[in-house]
Amino acid sequence: MRKNLPLFAMLAVGMALALSACSEATEPVPPTFKTSLKSDEIKNSAFKSEFPLHYETYLRNNESEIMTEYGGSVAYDKHDNVNPLPKGYKHAQPYLKNLWLGYPFSYEYKAARGHTYAIKDILNIDRLNRYAEKADLPATCWNCKGAKMNEWVGKYGDEFWAKDFNEFREEVDMDENTIGCANCHDPANMELRLYSVPLQDHLKAEGKDFKTLPRNEQRALMCGQCHVEYYFTDKGQGPAKKPVFPWAQGKDPEEIYSYYKSHGDTTTPGFEGNFVDWVHPVSKTPMLKAQHPEYETWHNGVHGAAGVSCADCHMSYTRLDGKKKMSNHHWNSPLKDPDMKACRQCHTDKTPDYLKQRVIYTQDKVWEQLMTAQDISVKAHEAIRMANEFEGEKPANYDQLMIDAREMCRKGQFFWDLVSAENSVGFHNPTKALDTLAKSQQYSQKAVDIAIQAAAFTTAQALAGDIKTLVPPIMEHSRELQMDPEHLASHQWFKYLKLTPKSEQIWDENRRLIPKPAAS
Amino acid sequence: MPPKQDAPRGRGWWFFLPPAIAGIVVTVGVALAMTATDQAMFCGSCHSMAEAALTHKRSVHAELACNECHAPHNLIAKIPFKTKEGARDILATATSSIPDLIHPGEETKEVTQANCQRCHSSTTSTVVMQSKEFCTDCHRHVPHTPKIPVAKRSAADA
Repeated sequence: MRKNLPLFAMLAVGMALALSACSEATEPVPPTFKTSLKSDEIKNSAFKSEFPLHYETYLRNNESEIMTEYGGSVAYDKHDNVNPLPKGYKHAQPYLKNLWLGYPFSYEYKAARGHTYAIKDILNIDRLNRYAEKADLPATCWNCKGAKMNEWVGKYGDEFWAKDFNEFREEVDMDENTIGCANCHDPANMELRLYSVPLQDHLKAEGKDFKTLPRNEQRALMCGQCHVEYYFTDKGQGPAKKPVFPWAQGKDPEEIYSYYKSHGDTTTPGFEGNFVDWVHPVSKTPMLKAQHPEYETWHNGVHGAAGVSCADCHMSYTRLDGKKKMSNHHWNSPLKDPDMKACRQCHTDKTPDYLKQRVIYTQDKVWEQLMTAQDISVKAHEAIRMANEFEGEKPANYDQLMIDAREMCRKGQFFWDLVSAENSVGFHNPTKALDTLAKSQQYSQKAVDIAIQAAAFTTAQALAGDIKTLVPPIMEHSRELQMDPEHLASHQWFKYLKLTPKSEQIWDENRRLIPKPAAS
Repeated sequence: MPPKQDAPRGRGWWFFLPPAIAGIVVTVGVALAMTATDQAMFCGSCHSMAEAALTHKRSVHAELACNECHAPHNLIAKIPFKTKEGARDILATATSSIPDLIHPGEETKEVTQANCQRCHSSTTSTVVMQSKEFCTDCHRHVPHTPKIPVAKRSAADA
């Protein structure tokens, strides 16, 4: 008996331990926090001591080297498919500067780096004029660059948007104010919180209250604050330059396009009341510029419709301490992970290589159609230019044909742009991406056909040639180059641009190079 | 005839009773411990297994113990397998080296496959079982419902 005592004791202790550890499986509950921070804290570094592990993953957004097949973290020129990294990349669209001619996007358009570079990169981009006191673009551009918006919207209200971008350059700190914690979280308790005015407006219009939405929807809406198509309100349509999501009729390309047929101040015959971003100087077409519609693309794609949220793949759980799960705050492409862990949370039975090849399979197909859509879009501008300059005997319905051709050109390019600007080369919704590109090609081709008809078919032969020789891609263009007459003689489409007066650079990032002129 | 073994026999009876009781208690105890540590209540009590326990609870197999599938049914095979798997899990927990994704290894896949067939043999008797390697290649929803979005399967600990 005495001999067995230790054994009994061990057994008893073992059983007690085993039983004490037992518990029922619990439903997933978002963790709750109470920090020492105030709800109006916006500095990123303030969160470091509260959440060192999360902060460590956030700082990984500084990574700016790893590439995927179709993109990656190097800020290469997105029109340069000639030069190697870091200037260009094999998968670049050569006609971007042609298609956006006359609009700031034609000066510079680079692949986006991580969120931690949001402010640094916007301060250095040539789209915002650094050669003048005024940026040429409104303060609205700050909306998606960080939590300073929390302050500015409170301080200025709707007066903020129409102010000039450059007015605020000196107010920002590139690290502390770039997109970070306070853009999605209430610092006091880390609950999800919207800061985005256009998204708040949209939810209000839909009669939705963010606080009562299911957690899974709330998570996706965090990204939907910025990863969407938007526009800046025309003066006569509401607070000037206020950002709005054009979703009143729906989030698909046709519905968004239809929305833009009204909601603008345009007076151009045939386009009265349309919203117009700029007029293309070559074809005189009132254009739309699409911006990264990730949210709209994802929501009815195969993953989105099945309830897989942005963060499930882009912030998939990691165990930084080797123990507890936490959301990874390094927002980037799951393709960069050799283990493809984001996919393999659900696709448990597939190998990383198989999964990667499936993504690239989709992207290959979408890219091929994207390039074709891009080419036809350029041809549409050229065909309309020719018809516009046609001096022979015009058909009786010439004016209407020109309106119709421009409408198709505007629509075809917008549809191309919705896929071009979207950050997944179609993967977020392969079916919709290919459908949108098919339509883009049809609309742009229609523009070409109608323009040929308007020119009494005299341009048909010229336009039958290869677009690459007919209109070569514009490889170099910038605000500085537009001050140089020699540069403006280097491409046939540049003659439709105005030479801008030579001027010194005034702004460098968040500093002035030239003192402010005395108020007159 | 002298009573030869009365005393020893009496002593022997008294001598063997406690070990016999102890033997029974130990056997029952070990069996209980073995059964208890087969259950989801036990496995799911570690953070790393919370998701597995939750999805199991919602699955068609909710009434079964984890090790009805995750360990060999044959006791001779089960003891070394369970010892090895358990020791590995304890080590990973103690050394904070739990992987981000916890997927079955090759050996576990063989074990679970045998257990599918053990219970569902009458169903599989009419099926060409050579088409796929594992039942779960097609019946992906059975092991822990991976088709449900991950956010609905578990929440981050922090």
